[in-house]
Amino acid sequence: MIQFHLERNGVPTYLQLVQQVQQAVRLGVLKPGDQLPTVKEVVGMLTINPNTVLRAYRQLDLEGMIEGRRGVGTFVAGGVAPVPPDDDRKALRGALERWLKAARAAGLEDDAIATLFADTLRPPALSRVA
Amino acid sequence: MNAAAIRAQGLGKRYGTTWALRDCVLDIPAGSVTALVGPNGAGKTTLLKLAVGLTRPSAGSIEVLGSSPRDDERALMHRIGFVAQDHPLHLRFAVDEMLALGRHLNPTWNDELARERLARLRIPLDRKVGKLSGGQQAQVALTLALGKQPELLLLDEPVASLDPLARREFLNTVMEAVSESAVTVVLSSHIVADLERVCDHLVILSESRPLLVGSIDDVVASHRLLTGPCTDSPGVARVHDVIRASHTKRQTTLLVRANGHVYDAKWQVHEVDLEEIVLAYLGYGVDVHEREAVAS
Amino acid sequence: MIWLGWRQQRTETVITAALLGFVAAFLVPTGIEMAHAYAHDGLANCLGLNTGPACGDAVSAFELRFSKFTGLVGWFNLVPGLFGVVLAAPYVLELEHGTHRLAWTQSITRFQWVRAKLALAITSTLVAAAALIALYTWWRVPFVHLDGRMDNGAFDAQGTVVLGYALFALGLALAVGAVWRRGIPAVLVSFVGYFVARIFVDTWLRQRFIAPKQLTFSSGRGDPPALWHAWIISEGPSNAQGGPAVFPRGGCVAHAQHGFRATKACMASLGGHVHALFEPASRFWALQGIETALFAGVGVTLIAFAGWWTLRSE
Repeated sequence: MIQFHLERNGVPTYLQLVQQVQQAVRLGVLKPGDQLPTVKEVVGMLTINPNTVLRAYRQLDLEGMIEGRRGVGTFVAGGVAPVPPDDDRKALRGALERWLKAARAAGLEDDAIATLFADTLRPPALSRVA
Repeated sequence: MNAAAIRAQGLGKRYGTTWALRDCVLDIPAGSVTALVGPNGAGKTTLLKLAVGLTRPSAGSIEVLGSSPRDDERALMHRIGFVAQDHPLHLRFAVDEMLALGRHLNPTWNDELARERLARLRIPLDRKVGKLSGGQQAQVALTLALGKQPELLLLDEPVASLDPLARREFLNTVMEAVSESAVTVVLSSHIVADLERVCDHLVILSESRPLLVGSIDDVVASHRLLTGPCTDSPGVARVHDVIRASHTKRQTTLLVRANGHVYDAKWQVHEVDLEEIVLAYLGYGVDVHEREAVAS
Repeated sequence: MIWLGWRQQRTETVITAALLGFVAAFLVPTGIEMAHAYAHDGLANCLGLNTGPACGDAVSAFELRFSKFTGLVGWFNLVPGLFGVVLAAPYVLELEHGTHRLAWTQSITRFQWVRAKLALAITSTLVAAAALIALYTWWRVPFVHLDGRMDNGAFDAQGTVVLGYALFALGLALAVGAVWRRGIPAVLVSFVGYFVARIFVDTWLRQRFIAPKQLTFSSGRGDPPALWHAWIISEGPSNAQGGPAVFPRGGCVAHAQHGFRATKACMASLGGHVHALFEPASRFWALQGIETALFAGVGVTLIAFAGWWTLRSE
């Protein structure tokens, strides 16, 4: 069973839940057919508004990542994006290490690197005013 | 989708010559969890008492679940749960005698659910209420309010006197109740930090008046912090509502409720979290004459 | 609401029962002793106005033997007051601790709560007072046969006045508590108020309920029939017209220390008169009715005030 956690990083709560499910699937922690915690269980774990959980699950459902089975629960859908094979990951890690070296050579401190990374990673929708 | 759980129009309450609440216009949607924030004496308790029928309006009207709380007292009572600020409990009663109280006084009482909830919290049924910890007493008061399976739950500063762990557990119980039954919750507090994870709507009260009412998503999305050189606040103020302005020699910081996009390139635009927004409305960080200018 | 009312009143019910028990523990054994002595001494034959010296002696002996009891029983006048203030305490304590607001947010209306609590307090008080009356009345039977029930000590404990006293104390404590909202102080203040009111009525007001009768009679032939078992408010030597008499010097003063009966006998031998101010025994129920109505009326008014004030002040 996936264990959710929350961070104060400015990312809306429901999105953090979505990302954690996506992450868990990518890493193989959640496999197709695994059951997700019920809304009540997530609420019990995190003390958050149930609507937030519903919103996260709705989004994951829209993305085809999960499916609800009436009276039974919510499950990871079959045919979800597979875990990238090990070589891809090795290549990505190498590229990251080279990039970090270049950033440090350019004089960036670790904090600045983290900020740059977080800013780039955040979904574009958030920087617009409503 | 939402009928209003609570609707207030021009609502006011006067004690002697002092208005504890006035000009209150509210529409709290059914199924929402609303934070009622404001400093002490802002009118939060008065609003909740008006909603539950413990007192009568001096001006305007309030409608709860479609009925008037004072006139339709009998019909409404079992549909509203209330936990008062000091959550009075019969200290000489044992916990299961409090449950008996709930059973005898509420036609819609669900005893099994109440016992199950207390068992999960590991509160012993045979202990006298006076001997429980503060957090446990708050949980018993909450159980009494939830036991009748209400459609609306009103909580008046329920966690103010509790330690952080007890606070978290209390809010947890409330959230679980919401996930079980879609009860509408109005939760007043002067501790803002807890509220963002738990609430989806917001009412800010200050000096007996409402300053801001709306969904938290909308509020966070529509407020921005603008930083820039020391000029042209009036320019911004023409387009957007300036909630708070603070100036140093070199820089001006404005917290605005934006009407549309902020186009002015002079300003750097940042997002603001809920706590900052609430504090700004409550006047934190503003010079006195600035606050008067913004007060409209 | 009934369950809640009784549960909330549990301690006070126990206190009230204990008080009754304490009173019974005194009255029952002594009452049995008195009834036994009364029968044994054949005092039933000594009733009536002038029954001869043997009866006079027997009655005197009986009274002497048990007068210490009648003295002590005077203290039990405090008991109806205690009933009233103790049984008012649950209501006042709820107001003090704010737990009435808890009940009001369960599914009963404020009016229902006030009504049920006050009804329970009134009922409990009346039951306790009635039990007290039953005990008193049974206990006092021999003395009532001998001396009637009109004098202050007996009147206070017979008939219906005890109901009035208890309701008055209850109402006073409820009213003070509804306004003041502090349990212990309200109870203490009300008890003092009860005490003062009782003293006032007993010593001053009661004899003014109905204008007392007056009678002048010669002291030689014993008490006239009108005075039989009456409440003698005042009695003193007089001339034949009822005016003040010159008190015979010397002679009868010496008899004064043996009580008025002896003095009367002495004066009879000197041919003097007695003037008495009294309420006849026939007025027992009239006076009971007035005093009960007075105390109960004030009590019920105070109770209603307490309920009204509670509902109004939120």
